[in-house]
Amino acid sequence: MNHLSHDEFVLTYYGEPSLGDDRRAHLDACDFCRGELAALAAVLDRVTPLDVPEPPEDYEARVWDRLQWRLRGEKKTRRPVTAWLAVAATIAVAFFAGVLFKASRQQGSEAPSVVATGTAKPQSLEASKPSAAEPNRILLVVVGEHFDQSERVLVELTNLTPDGSTDISGTRERAQELLASNRLYRTSAASRGEEDVATLLDELEPVLLQLAHAPAEVGDEELRRIQKRVESKGLVFKLRVVRAGVSRETTPSSTPSTSI
Amino acid sequence: METDHELIERVRGGDDEAFRLLVERHSRAIYRAAYRITGNNADADDVVQETFLRAYRALERFDARAAFTTWIHRIAINCSLDLIDSRRRRDGRVEDGEDLAAIASSTASPDRVVHGLEMQRAVASAMERLSGNERTAFVLRHFEGMPLEEIGKVLGTQLNATKNTIFRAVKKLREQLQPFTGSMV
Repeated sequence: MNHLSHDEFVLTYYGEPSLGDDRRAHLDACDFCRGELAALAAVLDRVTPLDVPEPPEDYEARVWDRLQWRLRGEKKTRRPVTAWLAVAATIAVAFFAGVLFKASRQQGSEAPSVVATGTAKPQSLEASKPSAAEPNRILLVVVGEHFDQSERVLVELTNLTPDGSTDISGTRERAQELLASNRLYRTSAASRGEEDVATLLDELEPVLLQLAHAPAEVGDEELRRIQKRVESKGLVFKLRVVRAGVSRETTPSSTPSTSI
Repeated sequence: METDHELIERVRGGDDEAFRLLVERHSRAIYRAAYRITGNNADADDVVQETFLRAYRALERFDARAAFTTWIHRIAINCSLDLIDSRRRRDGRVEDGEDLAAIASSTASPDRVVHGLEMQRAVASAMERLSGNERTAFVLRHFEGMPLEEIGKVLGTQLNATKNTIFRAVKKLREQLQPFTGSMV
């Protein structure tokens, strides 16, 4: 009878039952085959599993911290209809705000005759305030979303572990998209007197610029340099604080205010 | 405690907190499985992230008759394979691996090699030379003791193809490691 094949030795080593009785009987009786099986076992027995380092105690929480940002992005892409409705709603709000703003300006141009009475002046100012605040509120809604996305990019970046060469092409792409809008929002915020927002956008811009022009893969030193820059400016924290302020500003029940 | 399937139903209903519980429950095991295949901490971490992201995307298609653990492990293994493949394409690591013959010849006594760090390095290097499927099939059979049918489900291969993958993996490992054991191939 023929000796066992390599495949049969492997099956036997792993205790697979597919070896027939006649082959098993041959193995028991054949010195050569038993020697071969022992030689195979000598190799495979030495292939021991890698020692897997035990992750830190808070590993699960860390995984979730990183993951939830990406899941938020997923939700946005998973609900295109909702997203389009939100865009449509924003456009509608902007349209009505524009109408109100125009109306309030017209009202304001008629004001001198009313102001001349001396008693109606505060009333006319009060009347114009909500309308004037509307464009800022719209700006803040849009900027709030921009801050949210920027924060996510920065958190992802600071969570990266240097590993010789790190692929940051996805982060870079999003930074490029954010950079263009960042400039636009900064100009708008400055011209509308939203100084805190404009200042933060100003601080964010060079970091986005650096990321947007970074190579798709960065070495450890470059990655640490970018991370250090983000961390030293405390940008993630500032974004959270300002975003929370923006959120309060844009909540209908809150009192309009420009201080964040 | 809620079962995985109950949590999945909650996630399908839009409850992200339930997904957090699934992550908490399974991330450590996924990390270990990923580490055994990728061989390093950073890659294993990336695999864990990618696994849960893919699971979240595919949760609507999850078959409630299946075990979530098996399903998520299968995703993790696919993520690990993708990562290994992309690394290989980028680095050409197969050809650049350590020269095993050089490791073997640099040591005076085979016994010292077998029981020492050199052997571990040699095993790691030999494993690195396996294809993604070969490495995964071997790890699942040799380290995890997974039945061949289950490995086939993970890899999406028929039983015979699964066996052949393991045979190839063993053959390559044996050829690579034979100088360290002094046995005949």
